[in-house]
Amino acid sequence: MKIRSDHVAGATFVTFGVVIFALSGDLPTGRLSMPGAGFLPKLVATLTIVLGAALFLRARESEPFSSLGWSDGKHAMLVMAITAAATALYTWLGFISSMVLMMLGLLVVIERRNLLRAGVYSLCTVMVTYGVFIWVLKAPLPKGPLGF
Amino acid sequence: MESTLISLLHGFSVALQPDNLWYAFIGCLVGTLVGVLPGIGPLSGISILLPVTFGLNATQAVIMLAGIYYGSQYGGSTTSILMRIPGEASSVMTCIDGNAMAKKGRAGAALCIAAVGSWIAGTFGIIMLTLIAPPLATIALRFGPPEYTALLVLGLIFLAYMSSTSLVRTLLMACIGLMLGMIGIDNMTGHFRYSFGLAELGDGIGIVPVAVGLFGLGEILATPSHKVVGEVIAPKLRELLPSRQEWREASMPIARGSVLGFIIGIIPGSAHIISSFLSYALEKRISKRPEEFGKGAVAGVAGPEAANNSASTGAFVPMLALGIPTGPITAVLIGALMIHGVPAGPQLVSDHPDVFWGFVASMYVGNLMLLALNLPLVGLFVSLLRIPYAYLYPLIIMFCVIGVYEVSHSIVDVWIMLIMGVFGYALRKFNFDPAPLVLGLVIAPIFEQSLRQSLIMSNGNYLIFFSRPISLGLVIVSIGLLALSALAFVLNRKDWRTKLAEAEVGKTP
Repeated sequence: MKIRSDHVAGATFVTFGVVIFALSGDLPTGRLSMPGAGFLPKLVATLTIVLGAALFLRARESEPFSSLGWSDGKHAMLVMAITAAATALYTWLGFISSMVLMMLGLLVVIERRNLLRAGVYSLCTVMVTYGVFIWVLKAPLPKGPLGF
Repeated sequence: MESTLISLLHGFSVALQPDNLWYAFIGCLVGTLVGVLPGIGPLSGISILLPVTFGLNATQAVIMLAGIYYGSQYGGSTTSILMRIPGEASSVMTCIDGNAMAKKGRAGAALCIAAVGSWIAGTFGIIMLTLIAPPLATIALRFGPPEYTALLVLGLIFLAYMSSTSLVRTLLMACIGLMLGMIGIDNMTGHFRYSFGLAELGDGIGIVPVAVGLFGLGEILATPSHKVVGEVIAPKLRELLPSRQEWREASMPIARGSVLGFIIGIIPGSAHIISSFLSYALEKRISKRPEEFGKGAVAGVAGPEAANNSASTGAFVPMLALGIPTGPITAVLIGALMIHGVPAGPQLVSDHPDVFWGFVASMYVGNLMLLALNLPLVGLFVSLLRIPYAYLYPLIIMFCVIGVYEVSHSIVDVWIMLIMGVFGYALRKFNFDPAPLVLGLVIAPIFEQSLRQSLIMSNGNYLIFFSRPISLGLVIVSIGLLALSALAFVLNRKDWRTKLAEAEVGKTP
């Protein structure tokens, strides 16, 4: 049997519904006249399982899983990795340092831009944004150990 | 009618205050930029700028955020016409004939027709909103929990029916949204649900990290910069005025697009996107020269542009009168009002007339501002379009991080955004539309509360939904829509929705 994209998607949703059911074990379902905290989650989880199964069963109408294009996968992974690293540093290093590093990373590592040009662009845009948020919008941004 | 006019005059007295005018202008300007720039849609634009409105009052906040929404509908046409890249999803159809007109040296005329058509349709939509929303809100005051439950179910089924992907896919997305909306403390019993010991999840998952992740970051992950290439056709200012023949060809499509767009706008779903597709299909069908479509037909620009602007205004009717979002954008706007302590819904007109009428009046003013902004500043927008995407998307990611963090100063929200970004990327790969997920997330608390209250009221008897006239009517419509979908499924025939889906992936209707 050729695995199709909806086989994978359907199976994932069925599994997700089952996991939600398992996680809802300690939530009271209640009675129809007094539904509990677990009533709707279990109802929606059941619906997810049913709909996921329907997707799985009708999967032959979808394209083969192997034909899904993942050519942008490397770009996506790198963007995620750099953004996640910046997020991890955001409250620790502060807005300016973490965002300059993030933009520099995106421009130099992924886009292969000239380091100096990328550095100037990153620093300028981050500083302008910082100024707008702090002085114009009066919205506080996280500060790092150096006070900015 | 007289009271509506008096209330509208009161609205103008609010909207014309210098502060409110300023925020309407900022909203329109930012909205136009959001529409012009590819890779950032109105939803991510509104979500990212939501924290900026925290220091404003509710009227100013909603005036500015709504300005971003309808402003983006204007701005999207610029990129479509000059680059053949849709600045945002509803401008896809404008790409076809708008860019063909530009290649024939009529870029200025296409931009002018799009702007004037958008203004006429937007103003028509606001007049209808002014007339329809207040009486609808009065009727909605009679709604109890069973009516709200039936209405929300109808909303979800309508969304699924109107969706260009399948009914099963849309309902699956709505289910995931409902589940995400149930994370946190259960309001009726105090139980913690799926918070995994994280205090930040006690209040549930916010709409902003989910929307920004799915639509903002998800889009960037799926768009490597080498894929965004396009030449900008710069129009000359003296070429901006269309000829008399072009005006004649545009007039009726603008009128039809305005009416069609408004009707579709009221219906749940990605109305502004669907409306432009349907308007294009309609114009092509009734045209005496359908062979000109795709080669620079004026009606192919005027109709869809009018329809998407009218639809974006129509979407405010259920949002303001019933408190029901018809799509993710109105869902975020409802969230914005709630942050400012103003619940959207039937009481909005009676309890917060300044907000309601000030907002409605500001849209009249905003549409005029957009007309004044779009044509003279076209040179500036052309310059913006020349910024390489490689430099643009890191900036957008930075605004995503700031926007999400600033809502509640929680880094957990930023992590949620990142997770949703990956999820949004995967959904695109598997051909799922994330919009119903956001809608499910927003309606989850209202839906759960009204469903449980209905069952408590009836002592567990489901017949309560069939014994009250309004809820019975809504349930019958829901069943009818499900039956129509089932019929198309059983007969395995292509209905208009399948044709629309084919058009969305590139085959013009």
